[in-house]
Amino acid sequence: MNHPTELKYTKSHEWLRMEGDIAVIGISDYAQDALGDVVFINLPQEGDETTAGESFGDVESVKAVSELICPVTGTVCAVNEELLDAPELLNQDPYAAWIIKVENVTETEELLEADEYEAVCAAEH
Amino acid sequence: MSEWKRTQFYDTHVAAGATMVEFGGWDMPVQYPTGIVAEHLYTRHFCSLFDVSHMGRILVAGPQRVEFLQHVLTSNVCALDLNRAQYCMISDENGYAIDDAYLYRFEEERFLLVVNAANTDKDWAHLTAVARDFDCTLTNITADWAAIAVQGPKSKELLTVLSGGEAVTEPMRNALNTLELEGRLVHVSKTGYTGEPIGYEVYVKSEDCVWLWNRLIELGARPAGLGARDTLRMEAGLPLYGHELGLDTEGKPIPIFAVPLARFAVSFSPLKGDFIGREPLLRQSEAFKRIMNRDFSDMTELPRRIRPITMLDRGVMRAGMPVYYKGQEVGWVTSGTMVPYYRSENEGLETVITDDVVKRSIGSCYIASDILDDEPVEVDVRGRRLRAVIPERHLDNMAPPFARPIIYGTELSERPAADTVHPALTLLRRAEENHLWRQKHCVNLIPSENTPSRAVQMLCASDPSCRYAEHKKVKSFYDKDIFYYQGTGFIDEVEYLLVNEMRKYFGCTEVETRVISGQMANTAVFSALMDWKNRLDRRRTPERLGYVMNNHIIKGGHLSAQPMGALHDYIAVDPVTERSAIVNFPVCKDNIFKTDVEETKKLIDQYRPEFIIFGKSMIIQKEPVAEIRRFVDEQKIPTTIMYDMAHVLGIVGDYFQKPFEEGAEIVTGSTHKTFFGPQRGVIAVNYKEDELKYGLWQTIENRAFPGSVSNHHLGTQLGMLMAAYEMNTFRDEYQKAVVENAKHFAKSLKAQGLDVCGDPANDYTETHQVLVSVGYGAGAEIARRLEENNIIVNYQATPDEEGFTASGALRMGTSEMTRFGFGPKEFDRLAELMADCILRGKDVGEDVSRLREGYTEMHYCFKDAEFETALEGFAGKIGF
Repeated sequence: MNHPTELKYTKSHEWLRMEGDIAVIGISDYAQDALGDVVFINLPQEGDETTAGESFGDVESVKAVSELICPVTGTVCAVNEELLDAPELLNQDPYAAWIIKVENVTETEELLEADEYEAVCAAEH
Repeated sequence: MSEWKRTQFYDTHVAAGATMVEFGGWDMPVQYPTGIVAEHLYTRHFCSLFDVSHMGRILVAGPQRVEFLQHVLTSNVCALDLNRAQYCMISDENGYAIDDAYLYRFEEERFLLVVNAANTDKDWAHLTAVARDFDCTLTNITADWAAIAVQGPKSKELLTVLSGGEAVTEPMRNALNTLELEGRLVHVSKTGYTGEPIGYEVYVKSEDCVWLWNRLIELGARPAGLGARDTLRMEAGLPLYGHELGLDTEGKPIPIFAVPLARFAVSFSPLKGDFIGREPLLRQSEAFKRIMNRDFSDMTELPRRIRPITMLDRGVMRAGMPVYYKGQEVGWVTSGTMVPYYRSENEGLETVITDDVVKRSIGSCYIASDILDDEPVEVDVRGRRLRAVIPERHLDNMAPPFARPIIYGTELSERPAADTVHPALTLLRRAEENHLWRQKHCVNLIPSENTPSRAVQMLCASDPSCRYAEHKKVKSFYDKDIFYYQGTGFIDEVEYLLVNEMRKYFGCTEVETRVISGQMANTAVFSALMDWKNRLDRRRTPERLGYVMNNHIIKGGHLSAQPMGALHDYIAVDPVTERSAIVNFPVCKDNIFKTDVEETKKLIDQYRPEFIIFGKSMIIQKEPVAEIRRFVDEQKIPTTIMYDMAHVLGIVGDYFQKPFEEGAEIVTGSTHKTFFGPQRGVIAVNYKEDELKYGLWQTIENRAFPGSVSNHHLGTQLGMLMAAYEMNTFRDEYQKAVVENAKHFAKSLKAQGLDVCGDPANDYTETHQVLVSVGYGAGAEIARRLEENNIIVNYQATPDEEGFTASGALRMGTSEMTRFGFGPKEFDRLAELMADCILRGKDVGEDVSRLREGYTEMHYCFKDAEFETALEGFAGKIGF
């Protein structure tokens, strides 16, 4: 599993990277592997409000649906619409395939460093 | 260490990196590292292996095995022949499924019942409890034998490598076989759970199973897990116990007839007696029939049915999501996901499956029975109502070797509109183009076609082509033919002369020439035979014919002699098998184009067919008419022997077969294949007036007119008389040339490197036909390529192949080109050009045209000066 140390992670398997004031959010390598082939994604729209710890969309694999949990409270300022037509990008390179960008971040969930996150994954496995 | 059971392949799966999960108490691979999507696509495109060893395998033996199975299953076990399988349900007393299952008959004495893994314990308890009342034994052999599902278009090829070329099974679905794969004994079944038209389930001893798995992987198959198995079966619309069978979302049992496949799994044959669930299933069946007739007045027995469902909006449906119709909740999704497929381009036989992967959101649902196909519905996906529709199906497997996705809303492209400026003029030009191409530039090798002489063509178009001449023998006038119209003296004379010429040709007593096609000839004979059978009791619905022995269409039999063809309305249904009362001629193992006479005799002895129909449309061997005639006479088996000579009518005689001398009673045929006529049919019999069966002949005449025709196409009948004169004059030299040319052409194609079918000992053919194998499924594509190069042939499925879209052969005939003067030299050249085109991919169209252009003059017809002058005079006077 590849979990870059420059990123932060959530227990619900999202990753977060700050680009200035903007939070860029995706799903981890562990998450995409556990999901299997991602075949569909439900995305929010620009301008939607997000709440830390709550769902902002879902990803569907062949097998099942999983909710995407937002690590921050804020306003969606960009969505990766490429994923609508090619959700398999989440499997191919989960760190290039960001899902949303959030601005006006007011609250942030508890975030994990890569090594802490890997410990969580190991426990789940 | 888990409590889950492991199949014989557990270590193989783990070594291959499979993700293992619990399923029905077993530790099973849900997917391999490539993932479900890739596994799904590889199955549709090439070949996947599925470990199905977790499924329960129960052997049923003992004196009352049939009685037990008839009682405990819903299917008609008496209808299950040796080496066949059938789908069935294990019903409870209330018509709900305890499980769905497959019953296999690999052996005379024992049946194999395969049930769902998750239900094996429940099934075993139920089956053994019921079995206490029967003298039979049940043995659970799940551990002794492993099972691999080998599924996908290449599965046949891979298994055939291991069988050393021996046919894995007969090509029909549900066929079974026991054979060795590289020395290891296996039981193979042409069945599967993927919707693939080409797919097998292989039962192999536990000690050999990993070897077989690995050999198939070496040959290019890939493993696939339960995930792909689920998406494949869902796309195929096949039910999964726990989703489409068993309990519904509300916890209520789903009636068996709610599942579309139930119709094939449930029999109410009297032979089954009062089987478990019979009464409620009968009520469900009646409700099903009402619903299918769109009578929704009483749906209490079947309030909902399992249907396919396609998402129109973006989103994925999952089991349990509610389905709405016009705002009302009408049921639930039972299975749903996103399924991948390869996008296709072009249409019809030109369809090309691209590498482009697309996905679609589909599933199954359990919804109100009064919702029709194409109705718009909505699915509640986590609070959002998404648009969906009920399609007819998601997948179709009737065009093997591929299972083809049916994409909702696909429409065929529009045909070009007719010319609006001067359509009549355009039609003339198009007809001229076509005529010149087919008559002067193309080499036509379609064995069912010929070109009639100029004299025949002109006579066909002359005055009688616009006339009527109904006539019938009348007893009051000592069977003198009485005509219903005036102005028919000439027709009367022509028909009399034609009948005499055809009698002379066949060497028989009676000929009927009014039928206008070979198919009509058969229909008239079948109708007459049924009428004759019932002639002494007209007060009840006539009994149909049965048993009838014929050549199966897959083995080259005529379409017109099949239950789906002209036999349709005349063939009985056998109450035991609940199928058409047909028995097929068996073919020789070492020459699938030749009838196995000894096996035929055994079947005749067993079935006592009242009617035996020889003849094929894929015919390169003589039919064993004399041997079978001798046998039925010796055994005193009352029957009627007919030979449908449609293809070989023009070679009746010294160079092929003399049907009446060999013992046929009736010959039918079409007059335009090897014979010289325009497109018509003919019926000939050899009954004499003092014979009982002369009455059958009179019935045949009656079923020709008024039974089949009112207008018997007098123009072509006139042309037919000229064709008969030509044939009776040039018969010997023409027939010799046609058969010799076919043998020569076959040898020449072989020498060019093509794979010619048939027996080298008789130069591959005894008729006008030559068959060339071009590779499984490649027939249509190569036939199209040949057409582009001005060579016209039929693509043809051989007796090993599933149907015309899987055709791996070309069927050709030498009759037309022989008439245009081709001899050995020309067929040599043609063989060379064909090999260039087929094997070396060369463009040979211009060379073919050049070859053809030297041979446009018709042979084997009258050319003396007096005749030529008269023909020109005739043409001039009638304005041609």
